[in-house]
Amino acid sequence: MKLEGKIALVTGGRGGIGRAIVARFLREGATVYAADLSPEGSLAQHDADGSRFVEMDVADEGAVQAAMSQVQAEFGKLDILVNAAGIEIEKTIEETSLEEWNRSFAVNCTGTFLTSKYALPLMRAAAKSGTSASLINFGSYDGFIADPGLAAYCATKGAVHALTRAMACDHGPEGIRVNAICPGYIDTPMLQSFFTGDGSGGEGGNIDTLQQAVRDVHPMRTYGTPEDIANLVNWLASDEARYASGQLWVLDGGLSAQVQQMKL
Amino acid sequence: MEKQTAIVTGGSRGIGRAIVDRLLADGHNVVTCGRGERPKDLPEAAVWVQADVSKTDDAAALIKTANTTFGQITLLVNNAGVQVEKTVADSDDDDWDLVMNVNCKGVFNMCRAALVDMAEQGGNIINIGSISGVVADPSMALYNASKAFVHGLTRSIAVDHGPKVRCNAIRPGWIMTEMAEDGFALARDPEQAMADALARHPVGRFGEPKDIANMVAWLASDQSTYVSGECFTVDGGMTAASPLNPGLF
Repeated sequence: MKLEGKIALVTGGRGGIGRAIVARFLREGATVYAADLSPEGSLAQHDADGSRFVEMDVADEGAVQAAMSQVQAEFGKLDILVNAAGIEIEKTIEETSLEEWNRSFAVNCTGTFLTSKYALPLMRAAAKSGTSASLINFGSYDGFIADPGLAAYCATKGAVHALTRAMACDHGPEGIRVNAICPGYIDTPMLQSFFTGDGSGGEGGNIDTLQQAVRDVHPMRTYGTPEDIANLVNWLASDEARYASGQLWVLDGGLSAQVQQMKL
Repeated sequence: MEKQTAIVTGGSRGIGRAIVDRLLADGHNVVTCGRGERPKDLPEAAVWVQADVSKTDDAAALIKTANTTFGQITLLVNNAGVQVEKTVADSDDDDWDLVMNVNCKGVFNMCRAALVDMAEQGGNIINIGSISGVVADPSMALYNASKAFVHGLTRSIAVDHGPKVRCNAIRPGWIMTEMAEDGFALARDPEQAMADALARHPVGRFGEPKDIANMVAWLASDQSTYVSGECFTVDGGMTAASPLNPGLF
């Protein structure tokens, strides 16, 4: 068990990817707080998994402070913070309302800022114990190259990438490693919404055909699972990754390694 | 802008020819080369040297011709390149030798020969890389790798030989040349393939050789005197978009 004795908090911890990370951390022996808007999260159901649920809107400063105070009171340190909470507005900038734009940044960027800001004292305390603390943000391959009709999402993820490097510079000397995972197509409620949502190609088409076509564009001929992401998060959270910091870890089955695939 | 003595390798056709035409139009002296005879339609003002850039002696002879015909070479455009459409498993030693000799050793040879004078007296080197050196085209393994070499060498020359020498690379995307047209002709449904490929270009068209020549002209100009060590992508926005575009299915 790689994470024995470690205290971890995962935002979006009851969502598609966050839930897999929580489950993996628990298996690796960590004590895990799963922070989310509701105990069910985006999957709308939840079986007890041994994690400690914290109700938290990452964009709400008071809620973030309260959660970190709870961790402070219960353990006095935080070894691992995973900022997995995120939302996706499937629109071009012309279609995006100011409210939707602001909400995208509030959750994806401000949320990452707030949880990190208030977790830092706890992570410093963890780093003093001798091993480095690990902060893991969620960027996206969309922060490098664009999917159509996802403008605000692409922009927030690019911002997270830059924030990740900035935090790695600022807090590395304090023993805190900061990395971002940049997933490609991962089978989550968010992806299913993208397949069936307006203007994403789902209309008038057969969803199975669409999904197969998407798989076929990937060099690995499949899209990823939340567990694939949890595998790398687990490594980055562990002491094996003690020299890994400031990096953007793309995990997309090779999708972005290739040039556009012409149908020749 | 001062009149340059320019060498453009591989100027017989395609992107290289467009670069030759543009540099001549901008008033520069141009020497170009290829492995064959002088092309009949090459503008009279351009000096032709039959040369294989992968041969060290040929590279030196090319520089010498430029120096004696027009005076000290000030601009080198390494455009000559070959491609072999194979995976690693399918590639044999001859494929390796061909691609690496022309695309890698050729660029190296020309840079080394030009730097003998450029390192002292200054100069400008522009290498033609490829988007394929950043993201992979399927079944083009050696070509993709050779273009990544070009990008790496570009940065090294900029770092080692600045401030006297500027060195940059251009990464073209899909440029409509005879080579690209052959690709579409082989498609199961050429019309459909063309439409699909077009849809992946945010600017709504394929590139033309002169799109690359435009960038060369800018990099050769006094507008770019602070630009060095960069690899600029000119691909109509293709690689800015995800290769997975559900709107296309």
